[in-house]
Parts: sequence; C-alpha cells; structure tokens
Amino acid sequence: MDFIGQGFIKALQLLLSGDKEVYSIALLTIKVSGTATLISLILGVPMGLYFAVARFRGREFMVGAVNAGMGLPPTVVGLWVALFFWRRGPLGFLGLMYTPAAMVIAQTIIALPLVAGLTMSAVQQLSPKLRLQILALGASPLQFWWLILHEVRLGVLAAVMAGFGRVIAEVGASMAVGGNVRWYSRVLTTSIVLEVNKGNFSLALALSFILLFISYGVTYWLTVLQQRRRQV
Amino acid sequence: MRGIRSLTILLTVFVIVTLAACGPTTETSEEGSPEPEIKDLILSTTTSTQDSGLLDELIPIFEEQTGYLVKTIAVGTGKALEMASLGEADVLLVHAPEAEKEVEAAGDVINRKLVMHNDFILVGPANDPVGLQELETASEAFEALFENESGFVTRGDDSGTDKMEKGIWADLGLKPNGDWYIDAGSGMADTLKIASEKGAYTLTDRGTYLALRDTLDLEILFEGDPILLNIYHVMQVNPEKFEHINAEGAAAFVDFMVAAETQEIIGEFGVDKFGLPLFFPDAGKEDQYDL
Amino acid sequence: MTPLLAVKDIVVRRGRRFCLKIDEFCVRPQEVVALIGPNGAGKSTLLTTLACLTPPDSGTVFFGSEKVTKKNALTVRRKLAVVFQEPLLLDNTVLENTVLGLRLRGQKQGAEDKARIWLKRFGVDHLAGQNALTLSGGEAQRASLARAFALEPKVLLLDEPFASIDVISRTALIDEFKSVLESTGTTAVLVTHDFYEVQALASRTVVLDQGTIQAEGTPAEIAVHKTWGGLSKGVSATTITNRVDGSRL
Repeated sequence: MDFIGQGFIKALQLLLSGDKEVYSIALLTIKVSGTATLISLILGVPMGLYFAVARFRGREFMVGAVNAGMGLPPTVVGLWVALFFWRRGPLGFLGLMYTPAAMVIAQTIIALPLVAGLTMSAVQQLSPKLRLQILALGASPLQFWWLILHEVRLGVLAAVMAGFGRVIAEVGASMAVGGNVRWYSRVLTTSIVLEVNKGNFSLALALSFILLFISYGVTYWLTVLQQRRRQV
Repeated sequence: MRGIRSLTILLTVFVIVTLAACGPTTETSEEGSPEPEIKDLILSTTTSTQDSGLLDELIPIFEEQTGYLVKTIAVGTGKALEMASLGEADVLLVHAPEAEKEVEAAGDVINRKLVMHNDFILVGPANDPVGLQELETASEAFEALFENESGFVTRGDDSGTDKMEKGIWADLGLKPNGDWYIDAGSGMADTLKIASEKGAYTLTDRGTYLALRDTLDLEILFEGDPILLNIYHVMQVNPEKFEHINAEGAAAFVDFMVAAETQEIIGEFGVDKFGLPLFFPDAGKEDQYDL
Repeated sequence: MTPLLAVKDIVVRRGRRFCLKIDEFCVRPQEVVALIGPNGAGKSTLLTTLACLTPPDSGTVFFGSEKVTKKNALTVRRKLAVVFQEPLLLDNTVLENTVLGLRLRGQKQGAEDKARIWLKRFGVDHLAGQNALTLSGGEAQRASLARAFALEPKVLLLDEPFASIDVISRTALIDEFKSVLESTGTTAVLVTHDFYEVQALASRTVVLDQGTIQAEGTPAEIAVHKTWGGLSKGVSATTITNRVDGSRL
C-alpha cells in the first residue's frame, strides 16, 4: 500500500512541479487520442446512423465487420498499420512510420468500430416507428438524420467516451507505429511500459495516475454533458 | 436543442485539439543547429540500451551537433537486427556480435564499429545455495546451476541477454528444462523482479542490476569471466541495398559514437548515481576482443 | 369533387406475399373515413401508403390531382399529419415536440404560439416545459394529437390513436377529439378496432381484409349488413377482433 501511496504523491509532485517532459508526454497523449477520437466520431457516427437505418446490399457484412472490429486488439492494429507504413510498405513513401500521425491513424482504426457500433446500437434501440413519425412530421432527409442524431445523442456521447477510453489506454499500437521516441512520439502508456522495463516502478505508477487523471477528467466532463440533458 | 449544443461544443473543442495536434511540433528543433537534408534518423537499438538511460544523455548531444531528429526504436536484439535486414532502420546500436556478423556478411549493414562494453553477471539469493561464489569460470557456474536445479529465471524474449544465456547452455551441451528453469518472457527488470520474488538465480547485465539493486533481494554471485562481456557495436544500414536510407545521418551517428568526447561521456555515465560506471568505452580496441 | 387523397391500382408486397392490393380508394374533403378489419388486413400499410411514408411496389398515390412521386413526396408529406398508436414523442420538451413539425417546415413566427394553442386545446399546456418522455401515456397521446393539429393538415391520418389509452381517459379524449375534428372541419382517416370510435367519429367505414377492400358504407350500414365475417360471430359489442382467420382472441 505504501508503494501506491508514494506513486500517487509522486504523480502530484510531477504535475505540480511542472515537469516539462511529463507535461509534453501528457499533452501528446491528449492530442493523439483526442484527434483519433474526433476522427472516429466524424466518420463513425454517420456510419452508425446509416448502418442502423438503411437497407443495402452487403449491410450484414458491414455490420458484422463493425461488431468484430469493436474487439480488435491494438497490437494487431499496430502490426497492420506498421506493415503499411514501413519504408517498403505500400504507404511507405508517406514517411509516416514512427510519427504521431501514424499513432492517430492506428488509434482511429481502433476507435472507429467502437463509435460506429455503439451509435448503431443506440439507433436500433429507438422504436422503428419513430423513424416513420419523424418523416411524417415533414422532415427532409437531412432533417431526418439530424433528428435521429439528436435522439441518440446520449448514446453517441457514450460511444465517444468508450472510444476515447480505449485509445488512451492502448499501448500496443502506439508502441508499434509511434516507436516511443522521446520528446516526439512518447505517450503515457508507452512511457509507462518503458519505466517498468527500466525498473522505475514508482515513476511508472505516477505516470499511470496521471493517465487515470486525464482519462477520468475527460470522461467526467463528457458525463456532465450527457447527464445535464436528462434534467430538462 | 441543448443536447445538440453540447455536441457542438464537444466538436469544437475536438477541432481545436486537432488543429493543435496537426500544427508543427517544434519541441525538437533547437535553433541554430544545422539543417540536414533528411532530418529523421531511425536508430534501432535494444531495450536494455534504452533502459540504461545512456541514450537519453547521448542523443540530445548528437541532435544538437548535427540537427538530426533521432527516432530511437527500442526493441529486442532479434527485432533490431531484423529491422536492419528489412531496411527499416538507418543505424543500429546492438550487443550480439555473432548475429551482427551474420547480418554484416549478408551485406545488410556496413561501417560496423566497436563502441563499448558492459558485462553480464549472475545474481541470486544472498545465501547462494548453489555456491557460485567459489567457482572460477562461467562454465562451472552454469554447470552447477544445471545440476542443482535450485531455480533459474530466463528472459525468454530473444534479447541479447537471452541469446548470451542460451549460447552458454548450448556450448556446454546442456538443455535446461523443468520446473527450476523459469521462462519469464519479459524484459530485464521484470526478470530480475521475478528472480528476486522466487529466490532464484538469473543472468543480468550489470547496469540494470545496479539501477534496481535497492528493490531486489539479489546479490552478485558470479562475475568477471571474459565470456560474459556484453559488447556493443554501432553500424549503419547499407544504403546501397535499401531505399530511403538516411546514409549521411547514419554515418554521422557512427562517427559520433566512437568520437573521443562521446567515449568519455560513456565512461562516466552512471558514476554519479551508482559510484561505478555502467559502461566501459572501447572505441578503437577492435583487436582486443577479436571481433 | 376531387378527392384530397387517393390511391389507384396499388400493390404492396412483403416478400412474395401480397400485403395490400387496392384498385381504388379515396378520401374526400371533410369526411372521416374509418378503416376497420382484422389484424394483418393491411390497414396500417394503407395508412402509411396514404401518408407517403412507404411507396407502393406498384400503382399511384394522388394528392388532389397530383401524382405523388419521389420528388414531391416531401412536399405532400408536409401537407399531411400522422398520429400513431404510440405517441412517439422525441427526447425534448413537450412544446419543442409540438412545434417541431412547423420548424421543419421553416416556420418561425407564431409557431410556438400555435403549438401552445393546440396543447391547451388538448389540455396539456401545463406540461409544455416538461420533457416529453416523462409524460404518462394519456398525456403523451394528447401532446401527439396537438402536434398533428398544429400542422393544420389537409388530411389527418390516425393509426389506432386511442388504443393504448386506458378506458376512462379514452372516452373523454375521443369526445374532445370529435369536437376538434368538427370545429376545424379536418379530413381524417382513422384505423381502428373499436366500434365506439367508428360510431362516434366516422362518416364512412371501409372494411379491409387480406389486403383488399371487402365492403364500404356508413358506419350504420356496415354494422347492419354484417358483410364482414368477423362482425357476425358474437364478437363483443365494442371490439371488432380478428376472428376471420381465428388466429387471435
């Protein structure tokens, strides 16, 4: 227990003393995972809405792919993205290997199925008649999607939380395509792995507390947004 | 419509974050340093090298002198050498001479130079049930460990340390297995931790052991045999064999590692913290080890 | 007189089975048509077809003399209103729900006032600021009716709007609804299982079974003629159920 307490105190010390490296690592973590979450929100929400409502050829296949993708191991995603971005890989010419951009791409692939899948299931929980009612009220296609989105906004927020929580906590993909380069692509999870390897258990513990602070802070803020709506 | 407004706020915040993230990352470009043609230099090295903290001291100096952005990718020795064979790295700093020579012979790496060494030691519980302390050679020590079956933790991760250990068993014609031979499948720090918890022996590099000594119930029980040396070479990936290799940067890094000032820093590294150096600079002493 | 809404030679299929096959059906100004028949007779399908929500597999829907196509369906839909059995209110205030249809049509001025008038007319104006999902079944259906009337539809289409309301509030609501219909002269099509509703509201009754029109006439005529098998066999006085195929009740 003493050890955990020390780690917690060290985490506070690192945060309060303004340790430049810890701050840059934490900031990069938020940037990378936040960007990945944003992109998967922009792509995943329309995907989820569409897959839930529309009927088209290959829909079952796509829905199956989304559901399977929700459990994709980050290490596998990392491996695949790395294969594409290696110098000899098909996208090697972009020079993205071992960059934060590659981490964003990998994390987007991890979060996207989660955001799309949870959005889809939120829409599917609505009464199918509600869609008819919205059309019957005179909604144009655009108004229709907007109202459906409004109706499932709590589910979408939950999807965002789940997506952000998953990517900020993953290490396999960030390690594989980011490389854990100091001052450049090192995020909290990869530096925790590094510190554990070095045997700096107390520093690793402190970093893990910082990760928890961030993850909790963001989730708390989203929860406040989500729950405030309920009181009307 | 307040829910939508919340979503809009959320989107706006994320957009700002994205723009910030996509902006130029200026942290690494120090002013006044020369601007090389290809900036990125991928250094493939072993986790133990990175874990020692030596690179954190050397890399910034190199970056400031040359203007390169060094991307240090720390992986197991096997993977580090594989990256060279695939042309996915520019320069290597590793410690598996036998395997290095194979890669060099295949023409994947060139300009291979001796940098430094540290040594492997056998550590174990203070009461030393096997009695390693009385033994003279590493071969005797390993035979004793094999016969006593009193517990040995192996890295099992194909790292340089792992290869060294497996090589010694093989040279002695021994095939360790059974309950006493514990496969950790982990890095050095975790392996030491496991050995400490189980009261078992393990082979470790001196640096990692010294760094963790205070948290472990392990003592140095055998050291000093020349075959337990951990020898580091730097080498550049052959630019004639692969595309996109930063040959100039790699050559500059090789030169940097064997330069006199760098060698001095290596020799002093760790003294302030442990009272003893972690590495011994060896540049230019190729003949001494017959490598 | 040109009918307000009509269908001609329409066929709707569910898989290979015919769900609806009607040569001709129309709704004339000011009338209230009751659609009755057993479950699965195609009443609701006809209603959503009339509402331009589900296009028929073949045949035509007319709004006035205008053919309804994919292109003008939205314009036509915006001249109609539909109330389903469930209130189907959105996760927002009652007022926002009531005003929504007008907002979707781009109306801003006076939209809220109009919505409030109709909420008051159905006795739920005191709930205007409350979230619609917190309402009881009866209150919610009143809000849903207010939402439909606020649109001043040319034809109001109702799919068993009173079926899920408890008996006591139901009678009161039907009476209120009747007086609103009469005072506004709204044309309506009402799908129902309930004989009381037919008697109280309808000016014409159409009997559907197995997707086709079996009979049509005034409510009294239909009741007397017992053209429809289900009516003749000792069904309880106020509820017509699906006795024809014997599958339920």
